[in-house]
Amino acid sequence: MNRSDKNLLLLAENLVFYGRKKGADQVEVSIGEGNEFSVEIREGEVERLVEAGSNGLSLKVILDRKVATASSSDLSKETLNHLVDRAIERVKVSSPDPFAGLPEKERIPIHVKKLKIFDPEIVKLPPEKKIAIAKKTESICLSDERIKKTYGSSFGTYVGTTYLANSNGFSGSYSQTSCSCGVYLQAGEGNNLFDEGKFDFSRNLDSLMTPETIAEEAIHRVTRLIGARKMKTQNVPVIMEPLMTASLLGFLYTCIDGHSVYLKQTFLADKLGEKISNSMVTVIDDGLMPGVPGAKPFDGEGVPPRKTTVIDKGVLKNYLMDTYEARKLEMKSTGNASGPNNLYLAAGKSSPDDIIKSVDKGLLLTGTIGQGLVPTTGDISRGAFGMWIENGEVTYPVAEITISGNLGQILKEIEMVGNDLEFKRSINGPTIKIKEMTVGGI
Amino acid sequence: MVAESNNLWSNLLLKGKIPSPHFSFFNDRFGVTPEDMRKILEIALTKGGEFSELFFEYRIINSVSMEEDIIKESSQRIILGAGIRVLKGEQTGYGYTNDLTIDKMRHAALTAGAIASIGSKHTAVDLREKKISHQVYDLNRPLHGLKLDSKIDLIKEAYAGAKDYDSRVSKVQAYLVDDIQVVTIANSEGLLVSDVRPQVRLIAIATAEDRENRNTGAYTGGGRIGLSYFQTERTPKHIGRKAAEEAITLLSAVDAVAGEQPVVLGSGQSGVMIHEAVGHPLEADGNRKKTSIMWDKLGKQVANTIVNIYDDATIPHKRGSLNIDDEGSFPEKTILIEKGKLVGYLQDRLSAKLMNAAPNGHGRRQSYQYSPVPRMANTILAQGDYDPEEIVQSVNKGFYAVSYHGGQVQDSGKFTFSVKRGYLIENGKLTTPVKNATLIGTNLQILNDVSMIGNDMGFFLGTCGKEGQSIPVTAGTPTLKIRKMTVGGRR
Repeated sequence: MNRSDKNLLLLAENLVFYGRKKGADQVEVSIGEGNEFSVEIREGEVERLVEAGSNGLSLKVILDRKVATASSSDLSKETLNHLVDRAIERVKVSSPDPFAGLPEKERIPIHVKKLKIFDPEIVKLPPEKKIAIAKKTESICLSDERIKKTYGSSFGTYVGTTYLANSNGFSGSYSQTSCSCGVYLQAGEGNNLFDEGKFDFSRNLDSLMTPETIAEEAIHRVTRLIGARKMKTQNVPVIMEPLMTASLLGFLYTCIDGHSVYLKQTFLADKLGEKISNSMVTVIDDGLMPGVPGAKPFDGEGVPPRKTTVIDKGVLKNYLMDTYEARKLEMKSTGNASGPNNLYLAAGKSSPDDIIKSVDKGLLLTGTIGQGLVPTTGDISRGAFGMWIENGEVTYPVAEITISGNLGQILKEIEMVGNDLEFKRSINGPTIKIKEMTVGGI
Repeated sequence: MVAESNNLWSNLLLKGKIPSPHFSFFNDRFGVTPEDMRKILEIALTKGGEFSELFFEYRIINSVSMEEDIIKESSQRIILGAGIRVLKGEQTGYGYTNDLTIDKMRHAALTAGAIASIGSKHTAVDLREKKISHQVYDLNRPLHGLKLDSKIDLIKEAYAGAKDYDSRVSKVQAYLVDDIQVVTIANSEGLLVSDVRPQVRLIAIATAEDRENRNTGAYTGGGRIGLSYFQTERTPKHIGRKAAEEAITLLSAVDAVAGEQPVVLGSGQSGVMIHEAVGHPLEADGNRKKTSIMWDKLGKQVANTIVNIYDDATIPHKRGSLNIDDEGSFPEKTILIEKGKLVGYLQDRLSAKLMNAAPNGHGRRQSYQYSPVPRMANTILAQGDYDPEEIVQSVNKGFYAVSYHGGQVQDSGKFTFSVKRGYLIENGKLTTPVKNATLIGTNLQILNDVSMIGNDMGFFLGTCGKEGQSIPVTAGTPTLKIRKMTVGGRR
């Protein structure tokens, strides 16, 4: 099932050897090879179709604890050798960094097969089928009379292999597949328009949502916003839908990422061991969970991911780090050289309905617009839209509002955690209820 | 893998030399002749496509970073590849390869051409080379050719500028990124044109700490510039100091007062507002597809009559400046809003054809891996007569925005800007610094509520994302007063 090309792994190993021969103390080379297919449908016709295969190489050389890196999609031998030569030259003007260096060799067996990140069905799927799935998704949406315009639907697949070799003796490769389907819609009248959609992603064709489900959710997401009102500024409980919780966790990631921690660009620096959250909050990064989008046998440095508990019942236990960040912080790499692997907020017991029922007056947050996340302080301030809740029931839509708060405070004020956790991206969360945030309006 | 190549080329570009903009670059290095290009363009049309195009790219991006008082890392990235596009009606077929052998390019051409499936025909292509007539980049003393030692001097100067600004500055990062992109574009209408584009950016990030607070500030400089920019226009020291100044100011900043109020947008960085609220909704694709709120407003009054907005890629040396766009069209100053009336859209080739308009040089792409879409370059709200101080004085109680984390707009015209640093306006004066405010509204509302325009044009250097493609842009604006806007905050 592994479609790995031995020649590319050999190319990586040879370049490691070349770098060592030219005087580097340590060398790491990785190659990514991939085939992408994507089709976009609008108003029933193929609007854009992209199909291509390409590859790229990245390398790192270390000499006297000094680091230089390079990458190239020009894989000719002369260019690659030149890149290594130049990197060894450049390294000399860098400053020695006692923390620089390749990871120690770990002898952890990697069971790529068990990770279920390669689905041969995706490789076999013919283009006509992909086009048909996208067309069907859009046509279901257009059959709903409330949908006036469509930005179109899309279906995409990716089949790729990653190769990594380093001078500490690591040499490995793995293949992965993914497929995705989505549709984005517009509803409303005159100058009062709303844009929303639904996008699903999976490593296996079987577990991708059907066109019917994607269409139904997209229609629900956009039509519920029709007639949205503005509202007065007030402090109320905020319920976050799973997508919004995932976005909050994405911000949490930037606050527990080793680089932000050693640069003290996060309010969570120096907080290990402290109770930073309500005890119903447990956050885990588990890159070894089979079949999930973020599963992988090793990260960008060849370090296998592991199950790292970031927040254990409210207590900050770990940062997520690569080898360098871990050395700076006198800890061990968590296998996060490629970012979050499979970061999630563990599911709680409440059903999303019960969470809504618990709110007298508040906001069900369904979407945010814009940036406004500051890791150094934890401050959050974003444009938002959603549904207004009164007496435990979803009433009318609200738009052109803002939400403001602070992640440190939000973590302490998570009052309910939903049971609706699904693994759809590399960062996932269930519905949650936050005791209070400022919802800004007119 | 790439075929045998000519060693003479070796390494002109890799050695820091700037080649002249000519197709011979790809010919000398990869043996791709205009005859090969002609054949591939013809192959791409065999299934019945109406238009085919080849986009060749060779790009080198060098960067150096400094943090924790050491030169941490240097890197060199090479991006090589060719993209092949076929158009038929509203349909786009696209294929790309990073392997410039004829076989791989032929395969990509057939893949892209398969968008058209009816019939077969032969279209003869005759390539005629066009030359760039107007150079808008500063290629004197390019950073690309600068020795690493000299780059390190620049970055150290920025680093020290921030570190020495105030004893409360605890951590500094500085990055210098220089980029040289060689492109050759050929299409089935006979166009053959090349461009060599420099792009430079120096970024300083400073973190300041006192007993209670910790905050981060940032500042950048750059554009399609040469070394003289850092000597005359914006010195590295200045860039470092501005980053530190922001971090220090934020230490004493309070949360914004939420609610509707008069808002003054400061010059320069507020260009992001023009970019998001005005520029994006005027990109032709959203108007052709009638998803943009502006699609039915051409010729209509959409803004206060004092508002004039244009996009001009031909302004020299800016981050968004271009000799040719990524379809080989020659950009021109494109008036979008004249005295409040909507008069134009940002066109690429595809939308222009379908809308019966002329392309105006706004077809851009991130790299050879993407098909071009209508994008902004340097988007500018023309300056007015007011002294910026006069504008602030006219506000009794309101909010003044200086810098932003970013902004975003939806096709429906709803936008959000996240303000990093602002001030309260009290009795016509800037008083307490404010952090983390959000400005929200709709583009039609803000365009109509612009009530005073300053005489102090400034520029924002940005990176714009659309459909997964990031490209460098500039947005310019003087100080602006908005009658009322919704401000989000925690008080």
